[in-house]
Amino acid sequence: MDKRIALRDFSLLIALVLIGAFFYTGDARFLSARNLAQLGIELSATAVLSLGMLLVILPGHIDLSVGSGVGLIGGVAAVLVSNHDWSAPPALLVTAVLSLLIYTGMGWIIMKERVPAFIITLGGLLVFKGVHWLVIQNETVAVAPGNQENLYSLLTTFYLPNALSTALAAGTIAVLGLAMLRGHRQRATRGFASDSELVFLRWFLSSQVIGLFVLVMSQYKGVPLAALILGVVALLVHVLLQQTRLGRYLYAVGGNEQAALVAGVPVNRVVIGAFALMGVIVALAGYLQTAFAGSSTTTTGQLMELDAIAACVIGGTSLKGGQGTVVGVLFGALIMAMLLNGMTLLAVSPEQKFIARGLVLALAVWMDVRLSQSKTA
Amino acid sequence: MAGPILEAQSITKRYPGVVALRDVSFQLQAGEVHALCGENGAGKSTLIKVLGGVLPHDSYTGQLACDGKPVRFESIRDAEAAGIAVIHQELALVDEMTVAENVFLGNEPSRFGFVQHERMHVETQKVLERFKLEIDPTVRVGELGMGQKQLVEIARALAKHARILILDEPTSALSDKEVRALLAIIQELRAAGVSSIYISHKLDEVFQLADRITVLRDGQSVFTAPSRETDTSSIVQHMVGRRVDELFPPRRGSLGDVLLSVRGLSVAPRAGEAPRLRDISFEVRGGQVLGIGGLMGAGRSELLMHLFGCYGARLAGEVRFRGQPLPENDPAGNVRAGMVLVTEDRKRYGLSLDAGVGFNLSLSALRELSRNGFIDGERELQENRRMMESMSIKAASLEVKVGTLSGGNQQKVVLGRALMTEPKVVLLDEPTRGIDIGAKSEIYALVRGLTEQGLAVVLVSSELPELIGLADRILMLCEGQLGGSFDAREVTQAELLSAAMSKSRVTVSAGEHG
Repeated sequence: MDKRIALRDFSLLIALVLIGAFFYTGDARFLSARNLAQLGIELSATAVLSLGMLLVILPGHIDLSVGSGVGLIGGVAAVLVSNHDWSAPPALLVTAVLSLLIYTGMGWIIMKERVPAFIITLGGLLVFKGVHWLVIQNETVAVAPGNQENLYSLLTTFYLPNALSTALAAGTIAVLGLAMLRGHRQRATRGFASDSELVFLRWFLSSQVIGLFVLVMSQYKGVPLAALILGVVALLVHVLLQQTRLGRYLYAVGGNEQAALVAGVPVNRVVIGAFALMGVIVALAGYLQTAFAGSSTTTTGQLMELDAIAACVIGGTSLKGGQGTVVGVLFGALIMAMLLNGMTLLAVSPEQKFIARGLVLALAVWMDVRLSQSKTA
Repeated sequence: MAGPILEAQSITKRYPGVVALRDVSFQLQAGEVHALCGENGAGKSTLIKVLGGVLPHDSYTGQLACDGKPVRFESIRDAEAAGIAVIHQELALVDEMTVAENVFLGNEPSRFGFVQHERMHVETQKVLERFKLEIDPTVRVGELGMGQKQLVEIARALAKHARILILDEPTSALSDKEVRALLAIIQELRAAGVSSIYISHKLDEVFQLADRITVLRDGQSVFTAPSRETDTSSIVQHMVGRRVDELFPPRRGSLGDVLLSVRGLSVAPRAGEAPRLRDISFEVRGGQVLGIGGLMGAGRSELLMHLFGCYGARLAGEVRFRGQPLPENDPAGNVRAGMVLVTEDRKRYGLSLDAGVGFNLSLSALRELSRNGFIDGERELQENRRMMESMSIKAASLEVKVGTLSGGNQQKVVLGRALMTEPKVVLLDEPTRGIDIGAKSEIYALVRGLTEQGLAVVLVSSELPELIGLADRILMLCEGQLGGSFDAREVTQAELLSAAMSKSRVTVSAGEHG
């Protein structure tokens, strides 16, 4: 039984290594510092969006509009900067507030008017796409006028100095170690099962990954700012889910909404809150995705909602709600981003890319179902 | 009598941290009704899961045999193929489908791949007529009451030509008339050679029906005897392993201030519909238990749910909590103010079954257990441990999934969650439904303890002895209206019953008998 749990705990990691090895044998450039930096930036937008999706799926809802939302918010910000001579910070701030209001509104309609999230956000998908195209007038709108730099464009072009990233990595590894050790000690003194070897192995592996990442990045231009943003968002969402009342309520609503209501959980406010946070995250993902492309076009953000949902599901999030973790979602997003990046590197045709990603999604979920069945039996 | 039609030998089933069954052997003869008694967590549900094929053969040790031949059940289908049908406590019907479609669910009569609706209706009609119950096979199950749903479930098993029925608490939600009809049909089936395993906490039914009685306690089979050779008190003694001298603790303490008052309350299911509750007034004081009785469908649960803010639209009237008007439709606000609800439907309104015991226990009290939105993990753990101990919840740890606990222990988790908020008014809807005498007396003692601390309790129950034994005042509801209000110390069951039945109902039932 122990071995099986360990296998399941690390199954996503194993899948990740296998996929990495596959692309590396196909083209050694896959693991080059340059490509990994590229991968980190590509990943950041999808992964940030996936974390937002986790917040919405946990209480048992879904958001199909986020891909269009990413395009729209990134597009509005680009138009403000390029066509209306706004400076980047107010443009980003104003559009983030706009996104927050839009998504809070959708959450409100879903809970107060009892229209299923699937339908409302499907409507959002179409409406946002149309508005996005209107706003950019079907043209290509750069995130910074001319060839200048601004805060908007720097989101995906800025790299941290090596000294800073080394210090950050060392700090993160130390804090992670302390937190894990403290958690383990507490569990042990409370008489809960906690495998010290497993805890150490987790910490050791995460330290290796962080250290290796910083080391490899330093051989290119340094750690990308986008990767740091992703790290901060992941940490915030993790703390929200594990340590706060809102996080606990999200799990409770997804586990059994009626029971949560009777238990005194303010169900409507909790779900609307999740959608509000989703609004902020959509804006952030919109800036990252648009900045990565350098400009807003009619296809910015297209199908990103599906990548986000896929990342959640691959990472073990239950679409019925009530189950899912930040770490799982990050792994899921990384697997999806690696597939896309690796196939681009191998010059796989777009048709085959779609087919491969779809098959991997189906395969991953099937394997997860199989593994969890054999665990409970 | 020939050999046993169904036999279980030395069944042992372990769950993580708990041995649910320990070397249990059980025999069912052809044409026998064999009652299975035991407290919550005694292992009845697990034994049923073994016999009904819910637990696959390799997940436990021991042997099963049908007609003397060894059998291996890998799934429910295998058990059904052997003629065994389990009717579970928590119903598994599809509300959106008709009665006939439910009866034949997964088993639809078809020709060339097309479902034969007409044949389905006719066959269902035949089965229903054997119950002497007028349920239209074409009506949607969602429109039926709880009692009628139970009968549809039984009809479904009979339509599959089951020769062994396993009935898990079949009468816990049925009215007296429905119970009589059910007991009659089980006896009729026995005459026709269909054996039954009958699980019930209602010992009067057990003695009325069963040929033999087996008692399980703590996962072991402690007693088996023909029902003629034993009696209620010895069964109870075997169940609890000790004597239950007094079920209801004596009343003590004095009444405090009025905590909850209701004036002229009328409620409709939805705005614009006909009222479900009409002109109801009462008040409850600290230290008092207010019992609410009535027949099924009288509106008892609806009244509690409305007070708590999760049912219906208020047409008229006022609800005051500690002198302040109570807002409508705000359960979270009610919990904050100090009013909690414990519902009868655990599966639907009770618990997050996939989450842990601790997660569920502290859910209502998180506001008190957190600062600036961050949960104080240390305090949460302390409170959870304290509650788990004081409610004597039987689970290996706070992290065990609630769904794996027995019904009685789940009910204790629901109660514990409510009490952790330190409420002033506790609304209890059938708190002892489907749980055994031992756990019942624990809950009665708990309710007394609450009133001694000055809390007010509103208790909805369909068991009249429970109302009389536990409540101070009793309201009887009748078709959504007050049928009468009584002092529990001076009232008789007959008086309560007549208050629960309107004149029109009495004539209907008299007509049926005549």
